[in-house]
This record gives sequence, structure tokens and C-alpha cells, in this order.
Amino acid sequence: MKKLRILPLVAAFAIFGSIHTLASDLKVIANPSVKADAISASELRSVFLEETRSLSDGSHVEPVLSKSGVAHQAFLKQYLGKNDDGLQNFYRTLVFTGTGAMPKVLGSDVDVIHYVAKTRGAIGYVSIDAPLEGVKILMIVQARPNAERKLVTHVDPEYPETLQRLQIGGTVCLMLTISPKGSVDGVSLLGGNPILAESAIRAVKQWIYAPGPSRATAEVCIPFGNKR
Amino acid sequence: MRRRIVHLAVFCFCAGLTAHAQEFKLFDRAVQVHGFASQGFIYTNQNNWLTMHTSQGSGAFTDFGANVSMQVTDKFRIGTQVYDRNLGNLGEWHPSVDWAIADYKFKPWFGIRGGKVKTVLGLYNDTQDLDFLHTFALLPQSVYPTDLRETTIAHMGGDIYGKVALPHHLGDVSYTAYAGHRSDSIYSGYPYLLSQYAVQISSYGGLQYGGDLRWNTPLRGLLIGASRMNEDITGKGSAVSPFNPNAGVAPYYESSKADWTNQFYGEYARGKWRLDAEYRRYLRDQIIWNGTSEAEGDVRGWYFSAAYRLTKRLEIGTYYSHYSLTTAFGGAFAAFSPNQTDTSLPGNHIYDKAITGRFDLNRFWNVKIEGHFMDGYADNAYPDGFYPQVNPQGLKPHTNALVLKTSVNF
Repeated sequence: MKKLRILPLVAAFAIFGSIHTLASDLKVIANPSVKADAISASELRSVFLEETRSLSDGSHVEPVLSKSGVAHQAFLKQYLGKNDDGLQNFYRTLVFTGTGAMPKVLGSDVDVIHYVAKTRGAIGYVSIDAPLEGVKILMIVQARPNAERKLVTHVDPEYPETLQRLQIGGTVCLMLTISPKGSVDGVSLLGGNPILAESAIRAVKQWIYAPGPSRATAEVCIPFGNKR
Repeated sequence: MRRRIVHLAVFCFCAGLTAHAQEFKLFDRAVQVHGFASQGFIYTNQNNWLTMHTSQGSGAFTDFGANVSMQVTDKFRIGTQVYDRNLGNLGEWHPSVDWAIADYKFKPWFGIRGGKVKTVLGLYNDTQDLDFLHTFALLPQSVYPTDLRETTIAHMGGDIYGKVALPHHLGDVSYTAYAGHRSDSIYSGYPYLLSQYAVQISSYGGLQYGGDLRWNTPLRGLLIGASRMNEDITGKGSAVSPFNPNAGVAPYYESSKADWTNQFYGEYARGKWRLDAEYRRYLRDQIIWNGTSEAEGDVRGWYFSAAYRLTKRLEIGTYYSHYSLTTAFGGAFAAFSPNQTDTSLPGNHIYDKAITGRFDLNRFWNVKIEGHFMDGYADNAYPDGFYPQVNPQGLKPHTNALVLKTSVNF
């Protein structure tokens, strides 16, 4: 009987799950010493391209890379705009001209999670299904040019227990409309599983951004996975 | 010498298999140690090239370097690299400090670094020794002449640098401005060229300052930029004067009247393709022979290159490199050397077509095979690969070269 109740959920996932065109197959994780819960995609890029070693809130950060895998490829494409060779050459140029260091490169999700958990300021990425322990998930905000607004109040979305039990995860991407006062006035779904999206939308409507001179928009991607 | 080359080849082989960067803690800070080495072999069908006896096949084409660096704080890092090379009659295994810097980055858009700093000039000046970064065994010699690397490679001084994101999705702009002192090794190309006139240079260098501006355009993968470098160079040594050979060896000096370089460049890298194009003009007006003469050289070089990665391990590439030089002499030396203004003469140009295959054995070790088909030898008053000392029989207008090279890094 219980299985029968789950069936419509699984069917819905099968039907709608394929529409998450902007969703990625990864989670960005950080050591708990990193104060921020969310960072912008441009700030994430700056960290991984060694343009900065601290976030705007002053937290020390250092990038941790995976050697290969789906999450690695997705991360390079989505956030760094480089392929693996290009990135290796980029780091080697830094190292051999004295302008930067070679970041830690680890072989598996388990190694990345373990290293990030024990290293102050470490930021890495793992596949969406990787079980997490001792690290936090960083939400990536794809800020629009008119939306450089700091997230002041952040509410975690609820991960539906049934999907959790079935180990169904994914990433939901949303476009938020932010009022001058900072409240989230409008939300539209850009991509992701609709059941997870419902939960994500409920959460982001409670978010509060810093006040600004006008309305603004921001794109956010929220990952759902095991042991969030 | 042959034994040394064999040792280096064995080292490259072993390092390729086992190379790993080293990292250790010092005062609770991570210290990284990295290194690289390359070994090449060149055979030319005629004319000896790059000061080697390449017409018999030469492996006197070796370099290596090692660096140590530490991120002291989030904003402050220090490090140094030692570099050594032997390229025919250049370098001769005399090691040098390649760079030694202290770097403080206040913000991504503003940082300062001081010490011995690699000079940013065009796409590849500061990385020209790093074989593993490039598709080609030899970068286009019209813009990056390896025999003259010391003339542009680094300065003792300081840089300011930064990167600024442009509004309205217009990409970002990186800038570097620098000033310092350039100091050439006496085992580099220009002092070697002068040795044919019985000039022994003991010091060569001077003020070097300039800047670079590069724009990462909104079109993904497209970078365009421009560099400028000004110099005030003095060379000192001893010589037998051609105007009075009976006077014996006497002090020699030369100094800049004008010395500047403009370079414009573009790169488009997308997927498996990389296309590069650069243009460099180098104007060098030098007062020579203790103030008695003047030599003005006007060097113009450009190239277009394309590289394509066929598989994970195999990359192919090709370029066309165009070099020309005109010279005008004044004063007493004009009687010994006529002006050269006709760039169609082989002594005033080198047009080089190159094709390359690069095979990556693993992430740290590659092997390259490259063919060069050169028209001209440009042995005019400023060198670019062909020297009379290693070509006493005279130079022929065409040279084909086979270059084999392997390099490792860790």
C-alpha cells in the first residue's frame, strides 16, 4: 500500500525530472568555518581562479578540486568556463610564473568531503548524490547585474522525506524578483524536479535580501541530496 | 656533454613516471615545491640554427627549473624559481634566479609585487620557457626568439596589477604596469652575436618599464590585448676596435637612444580549438662602439597559429611566423656595414611554416615532434636564430628543421 502511494511521486519525477535544463549534477560544499551560506557564481569563480582568498564577509577560503568525474566536468563548464586542460594550464602558469599556487586536487568525492571537512576555509564540489558529513552546502546565487544584493535571511528548503528515502535528489534553479525592501516578491522556476521545486519555492519566499534602490532579480540553484 | 644529455633524458623519463609536486608545512603555512625540465633535439638540412650545430643533429637543447613558494596570508605570497639552460652556445649551464617575488594582493582589482618579476608582454613572454604549457616545441620565433629570451623575460623591480569586471556583461580587463632593471646573462644571444666582432660583453641591461592591458571579451574564449615596453639599455665590456685594430683590447660600451616594443595580440580558445595571433614591433636605436656609431634596427614580427586537440592525449598544431628586419647605420661603423632596407632579401627576413604533433603521455610528461620550413635567415645586425659564428661557410636561403622535444613538470 505504502509503495502504491510512492508510485505517483516516482512517476511525476520520471515525467518532470527531465526538464531541469539548468540544474547541475553537483553540490558546492564548504568547511563550516566559511560563514556564508550562499555565494555568487562570480565569487565562486574568483575563488577557484585564485583571484581572491577571502570572501566578502572576510572568511578565508581555498579551492579544492576533483581530479575527474561528472561533477568535475559540470563544475568547470558551469562556473569556470574552462575545460580540464585549460584549467591545468591556467594553474601551471600561476605556479611557474610565481603568481599563484596549485590547489589541492583529490581523486574522489569521499576524499574531497574529508579534506573540506578538516581544512579551514576549504571549498569544493561533489556529485549531487555524495553523502555529506562535516561540511556545509553553499548555495550559488547567479546574480544579475542589477541584483548585487546580499542575502540577509536564509531559510533551508524542506527535503521531502519520501524523495529522501528513495534517494531522489537534484538541483532546482529559480529566478527571484526582489523588492527594494529586500523581500522576495516573485519566484519562477527555471529548471528542476517540480516536487523539489515546490519545497524550494516555499523556502525562498521567506528569504530576505539587503534593501536596494530598485527591484532586482537573482538566479539561485538549490541542491537536494542525501544528508543535506 | 653527450653524457649530460643522456643523464637528462633519463631524468626526464624517470620524472615523467614519478613526478609529484611536494608540499610541506612551515610555520603552519603550506610550502609548495614544483619543477620542470625539457630536452630537445634539432636536425636541420642546412644552416646551423639557434647557435647549435643542428646540421649534424644537436641535443644541446636543455632547460630546467624549480620553484618554492608559500602563501603567507590570504593576501601575501612569496616565492622564487631557479632556471638553467643550455642552448648550443647560449646559457651554458649557468643557473639564474628566474623570479623571486613578494606579492601583496589588496583586492582582485589591485595588487603589487616586487623583486625579480617575469615581464608580461603579449600572450606568452612570461611563459615562454614552460614547454609543457604550449602546443609547439618552439614558439613562433618572430615574436618569441628563444635565443633572445633574456631581453624580455624579467625585470628587477615592481608591478602593479589587477582585474576589473566590466559592467553590462562586457567581460573583464586585466592590467599590469611595471618598472625595473633588466639584466641579461652574458651567455645570451646578443652578447654572443657581438663576440663575432671581438666584443666581450661583461654586463648588459638597464631600465625596463611598460604595461599590458588584456580584455576577456563577452565572446567566450576570446581574449585581445596590447603591451608596450620601453627600455634604456647599456652594454659594457671590452673590444678590439674595427676602426683601429692595432690599438688592442680597449673598453667598450653601447647605450640606447631609443628602445621600445609594441605588441598586439588575440587568442580564441573554444572546445578543442585554440587560435592565436600576435604582432610585435621592436624599434632599437643603439649608440655603439663607444659613441662613435649608431645602429637602428626595426624588427617586425607576427604569427598566426592554430591548435586542435584530436584526442585526450594527442594535439596537433601549425603556425606561420613572419619576421623582418631593417637596419640603418650611422657614424664610423656605417663604412663597415651598409644599411639594410630590402626585407625581401634572405638576410633580412625569416618566414617560417611549422607543423607540430604533441603527445601527452600523462598529465606531467609530453613528447613533441615538429617540422619547420624556413625561408630566409635574417643574420642582420640583430639576431633571430642564425649566427655567423656557427655558420662560417655562409648561410643558405632555405632551412628545414626537425625538432623533437620532451618535457616534464611536477
